[in-house]
Amino acid sequence: MANTFAQATEQYNYDIVRKFTVMTVIWGVIGMGVGVYIASELAWPFLNFDIPQITFGRLRPVHTTLVIFGFGGSALFATSYYIVQRTCQTRLFNDTMANFTFWGWQVAIALSAISYMAGYTQAREYAEMVWPIDILIAVVWVTYLMVFVMTLLRRSQPHIYVANWFFVAFILATALLHIFNNMAVPVSLFSLESYSLHAGVQDAMTQWWYGHNAVGFFLTAAFLGMMYYFVPKQAGRPVYSYRLSIIHFWALIFLYMWVGAHHLHWTALPDWTSSLAATFSILLLLPSWGGMINGIMTLSGAWERLRTDPVIRFMIVSLSFYGMATFEGPLMSLKSINALSHYTDWTIGHVHSGTLGWVSMITFGSLYHMVPRLYETKMYSQRLMFTHFWLATIGIVLYITSMWVAGIGQGLMLRAFDEYGNLAYTFVETVSFLHTPYVWRAIGGGFFLSGMALMAYNVFMTIYQAKRGQSVMDAKIAAKMAQA
Amino acid sequence: MKHEKIETNAGLLIIFTLIVISIGGLVEIVPLYFIDSTVEKVTVAGKDTIHPYTPLQLRGRDIYMREGCYLCHSQMIRPFRDEALRYGHYSLAAESKFDHPFQWGSKRTGPDLARVGHKYSNQWHVQHLTAPRSVVPESIMPNFPWLIKNELTYKDIEDRMKALKDVGVPYSITEKEYQANVKRFGKKIAEQLDINHAEQNLLAEETKNNYDGIPGKVTEMDALVAYLQVLGTMVDFKQFEEDHFVKFR
Amino acid sequence: MSEFALWFTKMEHSKPFALVLFFITFIGIVLYVYANRKRGERLESYKNIPLEDDDADRIPHHKDKDDE
Repeated sequence: MANTFAQATEQYNYDIVRKFTVMTVIWGVIGMGVGVYIASELAWPFLNFDIPQITFGRLRPVHTTLVIFGFGGSALFATSYYIVQRTCQTRLFNDTMANFTFWGWQVAIALSAISYMAGYTQAREYAEMVWPIDILIAVVWVTYLMVFVMTLLRRSQPHIYVANWFFVAFILATALLHIFNNMAVPVSLFSLESYSLHAGVQDAMTQWWYGHNAVGFFLTAAFLGMMYYFVPKQAGRPVYSYRLSIIHFWALIFLYMWVGAHHLHWTALPDWTSSLAATFSILLLLPSWGGMINGIMTLSGAWERLRTDPVIRFMIVSLSFYGMATFEGPLMSLKSINALSHYTDWTIGHVHSGTLGWVSMITFGSLYHMVPRLYETKMYSQRLMFTHFWLATIGIVLYITSMWVAGIGQGLMLRAFDEYGNLAYTFVETVSFLHTPYVWRAIGGGFFLSGMALMAYNVFMTIYQAKRGQSVMDAKIAAKMAQA
Repeated sequence: MKHEKIETNAGLLIIFTLIVISIGGLVEIVPLYFIDSTVEKVTVAGKDTIHPYTPLQLRGRDIYMREGCYLCHSQMIRPFRDEALRYGHYSLAAESKFDHPFQWGSKRTGPDLARVGHKYSNQWHVQHLTAPRSVVPESIMPNFPWLIKNELTYKDIEDRMKALKDVGVPYSITEKEYQANVKRFGKKIAEQLDINHAEQNLLAEETKNNYDGIPGKVTEMDALVAYLQVLGTMVDFKQFEEDHFVKFR
Repeated sequence: MSEFALWFTKMEHSKPFALVLFFITFIGIVLYVYANRKRGERLESYKNIPLEDDDADRIPHHKDKDDE
């Protein structure tokens, strides 16, 4: 690959960006595929087939790891490496280290998935990787930080563009969270199992400080970095307000770190902690919407292109879902609402309006913008991009709506009393109620997955086309040379 | 400090970002280790009633984590009327103080398990874990038929208890530690926490209770059911006044 | 004076104190970003950075270095 596109690689290291881009698409298809499968297991439990490796409890971390860290993580590596080079107008620091981040990351993701299926897990949500994988990830991450910062230092620009600030904050915060949340003592040197350093309340607080900031920094701050570069590029106009982006940045990274405890309302966590988290969750609405408004106002001069440009469509929908999810989040962090929503599928729906609506849609938009530039060609099919857009949008709407019905419905049933003051429903009655929304959720996921598969086809055809174009060119040159 | 410096100096940007992102975690996490009322003392007649798991229960907990039970079952009852009727007294912080990691969960696809101990018979659990829909037709829980077939690995039980001891769980190795446990939990429990007798304690508990209904065979089912049967049973709320625990919330 | 200093030593005052501190910092950032028009123009000029990376003909910006 490197030789075929030698020209482009001279100025920038696009090879590493291409590799991560391809893996983004691959992990996307596999991770979302597993997601649809486990959603179906909840609707039709026979799909567990009594096979330990594919029961829901073992596959669920496979899904979350592959989509968050495989799909999302690879997308962030790809776009951050692309953006930092282009906004600093310099080549990425040290190809070997950059390549190490690629292979290290991919190996960590693949091993995680295999180990969960084999029954090895830390049993910490979104941090299930066993301790040797945690160490590998830590090493990869420090390398990533070095590559990124060294590239920043080599820039031919006095100013560091704001997208890179978000990436810096994301890399630093993820390092901090990863290290402190995964502190554990292994059972023995040759055992994959370990016991966490913290216990009970303190462990719960640490885990959700990690868990929510995985959302805040991995799935939000970093993707905002993506947004601050690709939205202006695709719209062909600079970001609406650069000053707003500065305030957006500092307020967002400060506030996010406080809100994790809203996952622990009404638990044995002391009241002061969760009240503090709820307060900050409400405040967080302001920078979140500041960022959304900044993005939407940037696109506002390009409305007419909504009809013709699928990339713009992905972007506007992603920003809309970002706004919706960051409104719903503070709402659910209110203790009274949380009493109903917590432990139900409303939370699952909320997460997916963020991850499918915001994270995936901005990734799709960014990749469709980036891929043609990486391979110096056009996307294979514009029509497939439109189809992808519709499949994804319909999928998200089905998913979120069914989870609202499931979550709010179950929450209301569980707290209902009959005229004598007894519980109106048993738990298992709510489980039967959930069947229909679970079926619709699986269908919604299926729509989204088929869109993702179309994207994979489209991207691979684009790459194939680019390579064929290149080899035809090479052959022509070779023929000319032979004649002369 | 001029903001322009931060914008143009990557080192400063990193330092300021680190400061800004550290504050929230520091303020919320660190005090939890130092404020005494965070984890309440639960004592009856001078003895701690909440104690670490026995070797067999501990292995059961490992299997609970391995199968990802925490992804569908919480172990945290909230102080609401419906939860009190459905699951029992709300959970205390002290009840999970030996849980490394905590298993509070975040989603109830199935019911809460914080006080499932002694609610159902051992036979019910074995049947339910092997084929949930044979006892609860509407259930969507997966079957776990391998639990009763797999023999339990317990050769590394001492290593496991030692690792937990390293993170602060009061399992004992020395005589002094053992005596401290006798004083704290009583003799019967202190014996179970003795790492030197871990394997024989594990086997004795299995022989005595025979959770899986198969005599003479130590299965993963034995361990898991032993764990489920102890959940939420360590505090006898009848021993305390009704609002005793409210002040710790 | 000592009365004033003692106020800070009380644990229960840490929250209002922190709130005031963070709020002042926030107002400081807002003022920094929006109060000075020249500085504002300089900051806004950076938004063109992503649009300059394709071609050789770069739009000049951050020219007014002497604004502080």
